[in-house]
Amino acid sequence: MIGLILFIAVMGFTLRRTGLTWPERFVNDAFGTAQGALYRPVGAVAGFFRDLGRLSDVYKENEELRRTVARYTQDQVRYNWIESENERYKQELGFKLRQEQLFKYKYVTSQVIASGSNPYDKTIKIDLGAHDGVKPNMAVVTVDGLVGLVSKVSEFTSTVMPITELDPTAPDTIQISATVSGKEQQVFGIVDFDKEDGVMRMSKIDENANVAEGDTVVTSGKGGVLPKGLIIGKVLSNQVGDFGLTHTATIQPAAKFDHLYEVFVVMTPDPDKP
Amino acid sequence: MTKIRINRAIVAALILLLIQTAVVPWLIPSAWSGRLLIHFSFIMTVFVALLGGRHRAFLFGLGFGLLEDMLFYGHMIGPYAFGMALIGYLIGLAFDRRLNTLAFVLLLTGVGSGLLDMLVYFIYKLFSLTHLGASFVFYWQVLPTLLLHMLVALALYLPSRRFLVRHIASRSEEAEGV
Repeated sequence: MIGLILFIAVMGFTLRRTGLTWPERFVNDAFGTAQGALYRPVGAVAGFFRDLGRLSDVYKENEELRRTVARYTQDQVRYNWIESENERYKQELGFKLRQEQLFKYKYVTSQVIASGSNPYDKTIKIDLGAHDGVKPNMAVVTVDGLVGLVSKVSEFTSTVMPITELDPTAPDTIQISATVSGKEQQVFGIVDFDKEDGVMRMSKIDENANVAEGDTVVTSGKGGVLPKGLIIGKVLSNQVGDFGLTHTATIQPAAKFDHLYEVFVVMTPDPDKP
Repeated sequence: MTKIRINRAIVAALILLLIQTAVVPWLIPSAWSGRLLIHFSFIMTVFVALLGGRHRAFLFGLGFGLLEDMLFYGHMIGPYAFGMALIGYLIGLAFDRRLNTLAFVLLLTGVGSGLLDMLVYFIYKLFSLTHLGASFVFYWQVLPTLLLHMLVALALYLPSRRFLVRHIASRSEEAEGV
C-alpha cells in the first residue's frame, strides 16, 4: 500500500517536469552510448536490405529526381531574387530583431540511437544533447517533415517526443499552430494527433478559409514554440468541426515515425541572448 | 536444490534491453510498429520470479522497469517500474519454484504480459494521458504483444535456465560423490 502511494507520487511528480536530475542524465548518456553503437549498424543493415528490394524503382526515381533538380535550379534563381527583395522590404518596414531571428534557423544532423517500446509514451533518442546546444522544445524533422519535439535533454543525448504523442487534452501538451503552404494569410489551425485512426487533425480552421484536399500543412510559427515553415503533412479531407463553427481537416503526416535513422534538429537562435 | 545466478540475470537483462531498444525496432515492420512492443526485461522478471523467488523478482522488476522508464522518459517515470515490480512479486508469491514446466512458464508470461500492459494503460488513463478505449487497446496492442512475449519466452526459457540456474549438490549427493 505504501508502495502504491509512493509510486503514484513519483508518477505525479514526474508528470510535468522538463529538467533532468544528474542520475537521470548519467543513465541516459551511459545507455545512449551503447545503444548508439548498436542501433546504427543494425539500421544500416536493415536499410541495405530494403534498398535491395527497391532496386528496380531506383531507375525511375532517378529520372524523376533529375527533372526535379532541373526545376529546383530554376526555382533557386527565383528564390534568391525574392529573398533579397524580401530582405530589403523587411528592412524598410523596420522589422524587430526578434522576428528577424526567428527565420534564421539551422538544421543540425543527428543520429537516432534508440526507440522506446512504451505504447502511450513513444519516444526516440538522438545522439545530440545539451553539450551540442539542444534545448527542450526544439523541433526535430526528417527530410519528409516534422517528426517531433525535443522533450528531455541530457548532456550527450536527448529524448524526442513524436508529434503522434501530442494529445490535446493531456495535462502537459504542446499545441502546434499550423497553416497551409501558399495560403498563410487566410488559414490558421491547431494540429494534434488521433491515435485510433493514425492521422492528424487540424482543428479551429475558419469556415471561410479555403482548405482543399492535397494542400501541404506547415507550421505557422505563431505559437512561439516551433519555427515557421516546417512541413507537417498533406490534407486528406476537410469537414465541419464539432460545434459547426469551425472546420477540422484530416492530415496525413508527412514524416514516418518508425525506422528513423537520421533526423535534423532545428536550432533557432535564442533571441534573448546576444 | 537449485539456485539462481542473479548477477548473470542482470547482465542478460541489460544486454536484452540494449537489443530491445536498438535492434528490435528495425525488425518490426512499419505497420506493426505501434502494436508489437516487446519488453525483454519483463520476460526476464518472470524467469527470475520463477527461479529465484519473489523478493528478487520484485527488486529486479523495479530496477529494470525504472531503467526503462528513465531511458524513454516521455510523460512520466514509474508505470513500468510499478507494473513489473508488482507482477514479478505476484508471480513469485504464487508460483515460487513450483511446477516449472515450459507450458506453464509460457502461460504465466502471457497472463503477466497482458496484466502489465493493461495496468500501464490504466495508469496512463488515470493521469488522462491517453484517451484510447480499453477494448481498443487490448485488441490493438496488448494481444499481439502478449503473443509475441510468449513466443520470445518460448525461445529464451531453456537457454536462460541453463545459463541462470546453478545446481548445488545436496549433502547426501556430496557424500555419495566422495
